[in-house]
Amino acid sequence: MSLFLIAALPFLGAVFPALLIRAGRNASASAAGLTTFLAFAGLLLHAPAVFSGEVITARFDWLPGLGLNANFFLDGLGFLFATLILGIGLLIILYARFYLSREDPMGQFYTYLLLFQGAMVGIVLSDNILLLLIFWELTSLSSFLLIGYWKHLPEGRQGARMALTITGSGGLAMIGGMLILGHIAGSYDLSVILQNKDLIQASPLYLPALILILIGCFTKSAQFPFHFWLPHAMAAPTPVSAYLHSATMVKAGLFLMARMWPVLAGTPEWFYIVATTGLVTMALGAVIALFKDDLKGLLAFSTVSHLGLITMLLGFGTKLAAVIAVFHIINHATFKAALFMSAGIVDHEAHTRDIKRLGGLRHLMPVTFTIALVAALSMAGIPPFNGFLSKEMMLEETVHTVWAGSHYFVPGLALIAALFSAAYSFRFIVHVFFGPKRDDYPGHPHDPGAGLWLAPAALITLVILIGLFSAKLAGPLVAVAAGAVIGGGELPYYSLKLWHGFTPALYMSIVAVAGGALLLAAHGPVMRAWNAAPRPEAKVIFDAVMEALARLAKGITDGLHNGAITRYGAIMVAFTLALGWYAYESGTTGPATRALQAIEPIPALGWLSLVLATLMIVARHRNRLLALILVGVVGLVVSMSFNYLSAPDLALTQLSVEVVTIVLMLLALNFMPKETPVETPALTRLRDGAIAVVAGIGSGGLIYALMMRDFAAPPISEFHLANSYKGGGGTNVVNVILVDFRGFDTFGEIIVLGIAAMVIYALTEAVLGSRVRAYLLNRKPDLPQAGDAHPMMMVVATRVMMPLALMIAAYIFFRGHNLPGGGFIAGLIAAIAVIMQYMASGFSWTSERQRFYYHGIIGSGVLIAAATGIGAWFNDLPFLTSAFGYLHWPPLNEFEWATAALFDLGVFLAVVGAVLLALESLSRFAWQPGISSEHAMDINPARDDEPKKENEV
Amino acid sequence: MIQADLSIVLPEIVLALYAMVALLAAVYTGKDKLASTLVWVTGGLMVALAVWIATGGNGSQEAFGGMFVDDGFSRFAKVVILVAAAAVMIMGQDYMSRRGMLPFEYPILIALSAVGMMVMVSAGDLMALYMGLELQSLALYVVASLRRDSVKSTEAGLKYFVLGALSSGLLLYGASLVYGFAGTTKFAGIIQVAEHGHMSLGMLFGLVFLISGMAFKVSAVPFHMWTPDVYEGSPTPVTAFFATAPKVAAMGLFARVLHDAFGGAIVDWQQVIVVLSVLSMFLGAVAAIGQRDIKRLMAFSSIAHMGYALIGLAAGTEAGVSAMLVYLAIYVTMNVGTFSFILMLEKDGKPVTDIDALNQFASREPGKALAVLVLMFSLAGVPPMLGFFAKLGVWQAGVDAGLMGLVIASAVASVIGAFYYLRIVFYMYFGASEGEVEAKGSPVLTLGLMASAALMLIGVVYQFGIDGAAAAAAATLVN
Repeated sequence: MSLFLIAALPFLGAVFPALLIRAGRNASASAAGLTTFLAFAGLLLHAPAVFSGEVITARFDWLPGLGLNANFFLDGLGFLFATLILGIGLLIILYARFYLSREDPMGQFYTYLLLFQGAMVGIVLSDNILLLLIFWELTSLSSFLLIGYWKHLPEGRQGARMALTITGSGGLAMIGGMLILGHIAGSYDLSVILQNKDLIQASPLYLPALILILIGCFTKSAQFPFHFWLPHAMAAPTPVSAYLHSATMVKAGLFLMARMWPVLAGTPEWFYIVATTGLVTMALGAVIALFKDDLKGLLAFSTVSHLGLITMLLGFGTKLAAVIAVFHIINHATFKAALFMSAGIVDHEAHTRDIKRLGGLRHLMPVTFTIALVAALSMAGIPPFNGFLSKEMMLEETVHTVWAGSHYFVPGLALIAALFSAAYSFRFIVHVFFGPKRDDYPGHPHDPGAGLWLAPAALITLVILIGLFSAKLAGPLVAVAAGAVIGGGELPYYSLKLWHGFTPALYMSIVAVAGGALLLAAHGPVMRAWNAAPRPEAKVIFDAVMEALARLAKGITDGLHNGAITRYGAIMVAFTLALGWYAYESGTTGPATRALQAIEPIPALGWLSLVLATLMIVARHRNRLLALILVGVVGLVVSMSFNYLSAPDLALTQLSVEVVTIVLMLLALNFMPKETPVETPALTRLRDGAIAVVAGIGSGGLIYALMMRDFAAPPISEFHLANSYKGGGGTNVVNVILVDFRGFDTFGEIIVLGIAAMVIYALTEAVLGSRVRAYLLNRKPDLPQAGDAHPMMMVVATRVMMPLALMIAAYIFFRGHNLPGGGFIAGLIAAIAVIMQYMASGFSWTSERQRFYYHGIIGSGVLIAAATGIGAWFNDLPFLTSAFGYLHWPPLNEFEWATAALFDLGVFLAVVGAVLLALESLSRFAWQPGISSEHAMDINPARDDEPKKENEV
Repeated sequence: MIQADLSIVLPEIVLALYAMVALLAAVYTGKDKLASTLVWVTGGLMVALAVWIATGGNGSQEAFGGMFVDDGFSRFAKVVILVAAAAVMIMGQDYMSRRGMLPFEYPILIALSAVGMMVMVSAGDLMALYMGLELQSLALYVVASLRRDSVKSTEAGLKYFVLGALSSGLLLYGASLVYGFAGTTKFAGIIQVAEHGHMSLGMLFGLVFLISGMAFKVSAVPFHMWTPDVYEGSPTPVTAFFATAPKVAAMGLFARVLHDAFGGAIVDWQQVIVVLSVLSMFLGAVAAIGQRDIKRLMAFSSIAHMGYALIGLAAGTEAGVSAMLVYLAIYVTMNVGTFSFILMLEKDGKPVTDIDALNQFASREPGKALAVLVLMFSLAGVPPMLGFFAKLGVWQAGVDAGLMGLVIASAVASVIGAFYYLRIVFYMYFGASEGEVEAKGSPVLTLGLMASAALMLIGVVYQFGIDGAAAAAAATLVN
């Protein structure tokens, strides 16, 4: 049977139990059993080939781009594990059929179980480490479902979650290791990786890869310090514990260590990490197991201990140790699964697993007793059972192992572990089956039907047979599997037999068994001492770690995301500063290529006032009016510096824009409190101030550095200076750029300007149409208003200034093409002329005298500009090509005309319209019934009735 | 000449014109009554455009003197963007119209932002880049605060806008520095100047400012701060939109700028991207643990996912870009499914976003719970779901590019991140008390959830040629 099929059968079969459950529990179980049997049979068909040393492969390119191939191979190691998985799987399916009660959803159970089985088979047959990873995580997932199967038990949920958290996380960490390993070897196929021992062990990435892979193995195989999840997973139904937590899943980590043994083992790192972890786990698990009153808890910790034993053997890195490890894997799987099943039978019949409530069962449950006895004696390492064989070989091997110069460390701890192991094995028998019969069992203990005890009976038969005829029965399997572990080459000399003579190991065994018996005899006082001694409880630690993680998460979140935009901004700016520093550090700064110009006193004075005004704003920004005035100062100095730096157009524009924006902001101040409240504590302000100062110095320094050096490309201004008169007919380059070179941009801009004004208008309409209007109408200013809303002096002055201002606008407009000026600036000045009227004479007065809607003005501006552009088409020129010529008009002299002027007119109109529309819209917010009047210069006699400043609400 | 240019940008023109026409038409006719119809029409058009782009284009073409590039990379990104935007918009239609918050502008704004995104991934010039970016962003600012009567929504929109303006400023500053020192805004011109070891200080500053501006758009830590607030405050369909198409566009733009314009100076930006990536993965993973609101949780999840996608970018190789594209496509699919589910959740007709409400969801809706389980495992990157292959791809690219530390950090972050995805599953299956949330919602949502979950599984066996397309797309970008 193809390996694909063997791996796929459990998955395919997983569908049936859930479907067939309607046909009855037997049908469901049979479907699961049949699938497993088919896969098992398929596997056994390959047995002759495997035993003759062949490696059977099946290859299929799945995602070659990722190096992920669905490659399977079956060698001795894979065969051993697959046999265990499928063989014990069959027994478990049988056992579970009788174990689960009528209320349990059995179809679901078998589906999960087969999924798990498939994943396990996948792990042991994979020839691609990425494929292996996939199956690896699948076992975590399906075991999660199996452990949490009894949803009504809170421990079940807890245990499932803990198991998934630990094993799933370990698996993800392992991905990192696998990726590195694949990177070193250049392939993700195991068959390639296993050939590259020297390459991998020489790589500097060997250690990270090793650690990451081992984290995956240790979590899965419940090695210290990750061992605690296994006992908590015991809340699962016993068939699950027997299958996952003794025979298969927890062995996955061991399998992987064995699989990787040829390339990873043999280094000091491997020895100290793996062997030490295994040793500690073995001893710790054995000690704790003795003090567990829960039957399954005891078995769980004993499993932890035995897994540690095998890990330690693999960690030794010697070939002989690897052989023993393989042998013990077989032995442990047989006796431990049998023990779990018998514990399950006791639980099933006596309705309790608490050892303190049990005892004297040997007469009530003779069959179960026999099974448990044989299995437990094997676990204790009593001849002639199989556990004795491998345990003695292990002890022998420890005697030869030197740990950091010490000859006694490893054998000493191993002896302690063996001693406790014997003690808890005896306890399992003595405290449960011996002693007087009790009359307070929660259930009515008696031997169950054959369905339940057949499976463990089959296993203890193996226990006995392997013990007696080890060389014949287990020998070939051990040889072929161990051969695969050590990766070819000669197998070391070993002999699987009961009697090796009087070796140190034998003495150690005797000491262990005798000591174990003694320990059990003194169990009462020892137990009391144990309970009194303080010790770390893994679950508490796990919960505390989780809790701490959650708190850390919350701390980070609350710290970073407190909702304050200032903090967000501070973080962004600070990080950008760091980036800037990085750029500065990694970049090359040549020497300055330009000389610093002389600093003259007046510009320096201007600069100083700019700095002062800026600082004043920062210091006094809470007084909004004062801040606004200071902003005006800043704007003024900036405009003057434009002028000083030979940009009069810019200066003019800036100046008029400044006026308009200040007026706008004054309007807005109307709706705001006069003072900004203090919202941030001083420390925050200090932090923000520091960031701001550094950012300011940084950007200032950057600009300074850039200005002192030539730019990469020659400035474009040369071109414009050369072509502005020739091509555009104007000597004012800025204006020619606006209306000619970049006319299309300007055209777009005036449209945008118009749209912006329209949006402001639309928003105003929308707001004033909503509930806000009532609020605006009834709002009380927090300071009493001046009674004289429209002072006569100002009204008179603005009316005189209006024609003057318009005149200037016209002047600026016409000179624009050749001298500083132009439509844009002229538009702003004209707008200011009108704004003055709004301010001085009031909204009502001014709008009564308005002849054209601002919408129309904007529209006509855009249309004029467009028409100018289109005009070019009639001369077969592209859109917006300008033309100019000269007109001789005798009284005046030569006179230039340019189509650009028409375009500029469009700009002018659009600007006027847009600015005024925006202002008009905004000022409508301020409108209240009391403040409008027919006459611009009236005095409101009701001003004394204005209430004083209202109390704060 | 101009015809050739226009024919290259025809898909964008069609969508933009459609948006304007639809806007005018809707204003003068039924207004909000047409909204649902408009959603379907817009969605249909976007899907049609996606099909057109996917089947139509071949080779690399340039329009407007290299300002706009139409190549395999841009086509790949555009197809993902259009399909994702259409799917998410249609998914939200029922949710929004039932709650009376579906204005007719919504589909139009989505269409306009899609135009922006298409320009972004096709940008061959700093100016086209900025134009696309702003078109996209402006539409997003508006949809973020779509629920005008909700304080949270408006606050989210405002924050997004203010911080977005700050980042735009940074980006623009960077762009002008680059222009100043390269003498051109075209990527093709910049790449000739931007060579590692020969970059002037101004150029480097320009580069890092550009990066920080774009990092804001992909919400990479520490430019991510707007994300949780906006995700939580926006209406859920808008959140879903935020989590999908714009991310693809921003990452696409990121890749385009870094490879097309600064491909010769990988060393100079690699470290920055690595830092952004690590910070994003860890912050996303750690901060999500404390979240009880599933929308906020998805915000952090998206931050973490962008961190993973950035690994592909940090690799600076063709394989990296290809892995990044595959990652994005898979990420978008997962998010479509997850948000379908979130959109379904309600109790007494009110939307529910508290994850405690999911307790024992599996016992009431086993089918949907299973689909969510698949999606959550996939988001966590647990094999064999498709999400694992996404991560595997970027990790391999990272390892091959020598970014071993980054990959290991990323694996650690994914372990932490797995915690909160699995917690959702845990609540659904083993939650302590009975939650009362229902998962109603339209058939569209069920379809979205089921199809996306199914893809997570089918994708394991058959990827619909997406990896090949991504590899081809990456090849056109990196050369």
